[in-house]
Amino acid sequence: MKNWKLSAPFLLLLPSFIVLAAVVIVPLLLSFYSSFTPFRLTKPESFFVFIGLRNYINILSDWNFWVAFGRTVLLLTIALNLEMLLGLGLALLVEKASRGQRILRTIMMFPMMFSPILVGFQFKFMFNDNIGLVNNALQALGITNNAIPWLIDGTLAFIAILTAEIWSSTSVFAILILAGLLAMPREPVEAARVDGCTPWQTFRYVTWPFLMPFAYIAMTIRSLDVARAYDIVKIMTDGGPAGRTELIWTLVARTGYSDARMGVANAMAYFSILLSILFTVYFFRKLAAARTQIGAEW
Amino acid sequence: MQMDANASARTKKRLLSIAHKVALFLAMLIICLPGIWIVLASLRPTVEIMAKPPVWIPQELSLNAYVSMFSGVGKGGIPVLDYFRNSLIISITSTVIAIIIGMAGGYAFARFRFKAKSGLFLGLMLTRTVPGIALSLPLFFVFARVGIIDTHFGLILAYVALNIPFTIWLIDGFFRQVPKDLAEAAQIDGCTRWQAFWQVEFPLAGPGIASAGIFAFLTSWNEFALASQLTRSINSKTLPVGLLDYTAEFTIDWRGMCALAVVMIIPALTLTFIVQKHLVGGLTSGAVKG
Amino acid sequence: MATVSLKKLTKRYGPLEIVHGIDLEVADREFIALVGPSGCGKSTTLRMIAGLEEISGGAVEIGGKVVNDLPPRSRNISMVFQSYALYPHMTVRENMGFSLKIAGRSQDEIAKRVDEAAAILDLNHLLERRPSQLSGGQRQRVAMGRAIVRDPDVFLFDEPLSNLDAKLRTQMRTEIKKLHAKVKSTVVYVTHDQVEAMTLSDRIVIMRDGYIEQVGTPDEVFKRPATRFVAGFIGSPPMNLREAIVTDGKLAFPNGTKLPLPRQFRDRVAAGDKVVFGLRPDDAYPTGHGLHSGEETDVHALELPVTVTEPLGNETLVFADFDGADLVARMLNPRPLKSGDKVNMSFDLSQAHLFSAETGRTLRA
Repeated sequence: MKNWKLSAPFLLLLPSFIVLAAVVIVPLLLSFYSSFTPFRLTKPESFFVFIGLRNYINILSDWNFWVAFGRTVLLLTIALNLEMLLGLGLALLVEKASRGQRILRTIMMFPMMFSPILVGFQFKFMFNDNIGLVNNALQALGITNNAIPWLIDGTLAFIAILTAEIWSSTSVFAILILAGLLAMPREPVEAARVDGCTPWQTFRYVTWPFLMPFAYIAMTIRSLDVARAYDIVKIMTDGGPAGRTELIWTLVARTGYSDARMGVANAMAYFSILLSILFTVYFFRKLAAARTQIGAEW
Repeated sequence: MQMDANASARTKKRLLSIAHKVALFLAMLIICLPGIWIVLASLRPTVEIMAKPPVWIPQELSLNAYVSMFSGVGKGGIPVLDYFRNSLIISITSTVIAIIIGMAGGYAFARFRFKAKSGLFLGLMLTRTVPGIALSLPLFFVFARVGIIDTHFGLILAYVALNIPFTIWLIDGFFRQVPKDLAEAAQIDGCTRWQAFWQVEFPLAGPGIASAGIFAFLTSWNEFALASQLTRSINSKTLPVGLLDYTAEFTIDWRGMCALAVVMIIPALTLTFIVQKHLVGGLTSGAVKG
Repeated sequence: MATVSLKKLTKRYGPLEIVHGIDLEVADREFIALVGPSGCGKSTTLRMIAGLEEISGGAVEIGGKVVNDLPPRSRNISMVFQSYALYPHMTVRENMGFSLKIAGRSQDEIAKRVDEAAAILDLNHLLERRPSQLSGGQRQRVAMGRAIVRDPDVFLFDEPLSNLDAKLRTQMRTEIKKLHAKVKSTVVYVTHDQVEAMTLSDRIVIMRDGYIEQVGTPDEVFKRPATRFVAGFIGSPPMNLREAIVTDGKLAFPNGTKLPLPRQFRDRVAAGDKVVFGLRPDDAYPTGHGLHSGEETDVHALELPVTVTEPLGNETLVFADFDGADLVARMLNPRPLKSGDKVNMSFDLSQAHLFSAETGRTLRA
């Protein structure tokens, strides 16, 4: 009896462990090993040549890598912050709406269900310099006469990608923060208003602390899947023009598949994994902290 | 004096209400516009899409793009039907398996106390954070060795692993919403633990589990990074990879692509309507009650 | 029907011991209440009897047989949960018939027995509803109905009334008492409400920190509390308890007030003993206005200043300053008193209690 009870959760989790070990852990160990070899897909024998840290040293001294890495962190930082802010705004707007909340909420979920590859395609279409909606609209409104090269100029392309990324992921924040707003008890807000708080103060000191765990769930969920930006970039610019929108993920794909330098690509991939893990663990901890903070009052 | 203050407060209120409506409308427009634009483009003749200066009001609408896409090998040699079939088979199978495995795992987290529970949970989530493209490198290598590259089986296996962590998260949340008392009451009423699960806990968590399933389906349906490397031919290529085929060509057939995009998004959107209510519940219940 | 006995029953979570080897014998058809503050181990004990909590040490016997390792379903018990634990996806009828369905009884038999139980609890008109469509009191009755239908050896109640409002609680209390008179089965009833325990049960088990403080009939635990804790826990308003030192025939309180040593304790204490003096509000009253006025045998009176009064209609609680802290007294035939008034307070010392300050146990013979 006692033994059975101890092992029940283990047995229940066993299938998950097996699948994850087979598909994620073991392959990752393999790629970890291969990051110490000069492995090329075209030369299988190179898999068994051990070159120590040379791949890592090469990467660390490679300016292109650092630019891509920095651009990735920049993109994520800007995107996550703006998504949170816009999501909060959107949630507040919808919460204030007196009618049609259900339909508004459904529309709000819209972008979440778009495949990132579709998001990329949509925005590639809309930002097309010749026939895109954005340029057409700008020209029709008389703001400019030129065809703005959205996806060709490095900075503009970064903005276009950022727009696509934010469009597709703001709803995660909006939906979860809205859930928080709807779950929030009325009394503290009313008490704050009676106590003489301005709307801003009420929001700052009462509403926001309550919403924080919800914002962090959204952050955690998002950070689980930050690499979906790869799909968007892949289809919009594929890292181009001339590497000016290269993110760490597109660089990995190019090095691994186009250049067939698997060993180096795997070493780079480890940086991208590390980046994802850092983001996730950070928000996961924030979530736990925020949870215990408001947990006391619930 | 009193009257003035009231009146100005009233005016302010009315202005704010108008500003709110305008902002809400703009936000919804921005959310909907890309989708609407694509649907519209898929129905317009290519000439109209390419027209300079742009034609704003569609002159003629037709389903030609869809007809040509589904009539055997579509325009530009893209076998949309095969991609569609592959996508369906792979998404549905991997979802069913992920739900079964995730249900066991989620139940373990929701109902049992064991050592290193939160660490284990975080560990499971972390396997999900591995970027698809990073994972695809070794998977490509292993799958090629085992000989399951470009097969349904290979991609299904990968998607099951991709979906397990999040499915566990969601299902854990849904089982937590079912009070423990109920399972205990069932055991006192004569159920074994197994019976208590199927008679009481499963029916109550059912709608939540279904929405976790839909979410897993959407993840598989939309996935690109792994599919783009682990599939090669019409044997196993899925729609997202197929869409990229279109863009890879030099002359982009915008209308055809838009039509394919619409085909891709319709199942996803339909499912969104079904899932929306439960999805948020599952995510937040875990966060708040922990 | 069956007896229940606990033998050195122990519960540990890791190194933490929650229930410390308690012994208890519950007779056949007896209604016994486990009462105590939250965290005293009463619910854990009940759950060990039910089989929902693993037993770390000792034994639970039902009907003379050790059931330690039997799963709940094999113990022939039924339980009413604090949350009622009604199955939300089943109608009232399905909820009540669920255990019989699991046991594989015929449709006819299930219908008959559910109808019988519903009749006892006046639930017939609700049978096709779902729990969400019922009021709190109705849910409570369905939960009891579900328990009755099983015709169990032992009924277990886990704070069944604590989710109801005060009025409904009193009403359901009466119903439970009537129910027990009808079905005549062994009942173990857990509550933190001493009034519930007093009114319902044949015997009360008062628990604290995983130990049993006292087992006795309601009358015994009220009149002869075995420990200082029981004295303070049972009775409302609670007994006045004050530390004092015995000095040649008197009780000396810290701030200098003195009372004669109650006669019944004269041979039980010696000068210099540290004791706790206890007197129920019933036994302290403004002279001439007491519950037992005229029957006392050992009365001592003091002039005390009134701090506050709480009129309750038929009686008034008088809080008066006694040796630097409030003492509660019960005044019948109320007369107007204001804060600050001096009142001549009678202490019926024949009803007083003394406990050892050290062990907390009663010093009574």
